[in-house]
Amino acid sequence: MFGHLKAEDFVNLMDGTELSATQRKHIAGCSQCHATWEYMRSAHSEMSSMETDIPEPDWSSFRSSVRDELLSRSIQRQSTVRRWTGWAIRPATAWALSLLLAVGVTTVTVLWKSTPPVPYAAPKPPVVEPAAEVIEAGPEKALFEDVMALGEEQQEQLRRMLESSPSVTYKR
Amino acid sequence: MTSGNTNADTDLVERYLAGDMTAFDELMIRYERQIYRVCYRFVENREDAMDLAQEVFIKAFEHLAGFRKESSLKTWLYRIAMNHCINHVKKQSHEFVEVTENIGSVRASVQSHLEEREQREHFRRLVKQLPPKQKAILELRINEQLSYEEIASISGRSVSTIKASVFFALEKLRKLVKDPTLMKKV
Repeated sequence: MFGHLKAEDFVNLMDGTELSATQRKHIAGCSQCHATWEYMRSAHSEMSSMETDIPEPDWSSFRSSVRDELLSRSIQRQSTVRRWTGWAIRPATAWALSLLLAVGVTTVTVLWKSTPPVPYAAPKPPVVEPAAEVIEAGPEKALFEDVMALGEEQQEQLRRMLESSPSVTYKR
Repeated sequence: MTSGNTNADTDLVERYLAGDMTAFDELMIRYERQIYRVCYRFVENREDAMDLAQEVFIKAFEHLAGFRKESSLKTWLYRIAMNHCINHVKKQSHEFVEVTENIGSVRASVQSHLEEREQREHFRRLVKQLPPKQKAILELRINEQLSYEEIASISGRSVSTIKASVFFALEKLRKLVKDPTLMKKV
């Protein structure tokens, strides 16, 4: 038979909602829908009768147990927060600083290694003007005695040599 | 749930969050019985139901600041209770033990009462066979007399789905009555 009632129709019927004329006519004539409806009604009343058996607890003790549990959890949470923001902040700071230092050192090392190496250039020797002539000189007294010991001809030769070479350097 | 009740709930929630412990008592008095009954229907013993209800309230009060008032407080509490109980039943399902009553010798005068009781026990066992969500929806509708709209809001489904769920739960019970071999060992 066509036009069987849908699940929602049975539920509405159970709640006392009026069915349409077509649906009423159908349920009266359809044994399948009629049987379903009969069972729904009896199961509904059976279910309703189950509720009387629920034992009631002591509500004031129930309430105080919930309150106590909430309070103890709140205290636990507060002490946890204090632990994290109180004494424990010092090791935490130390950890953070060491980490920062390690990161810094690593970064500097990496950067240092990544710059291209500059080729080694040997330092140039200082430029020294070559002396025109180097005369080994002994102590002043010895030089004087040597000059005194020269003959006239030799003295004249020395005088000429000195006059002609003004850039003579004496090395002691 | 009337808008007056909703406003009163909102006021109580705000007072509780501001540290007023009398608001705690008022909220508990309003909903403790309803939540306990929902829990009882899942575990069917007083101690476990009290433990479950206590956990539901603790969870609710701890998250009360996050209650966004999109639904009523009642719906919100029922949702927490239903989810908590379904999870509990799923965890405990392997530990369920069938309880059989030893009636013994009975006098004829109480025979009919016992038969009625037995029949009720049998029906209770059948209801236990339903999947937890389906069972919860059926109980909330028939025993707690919540509206379909409230149950839809609690379970996050449409009203049509809830109505269909009630129908199919009763249909399943009918099949179990007809053919008891379909019953699982509980």
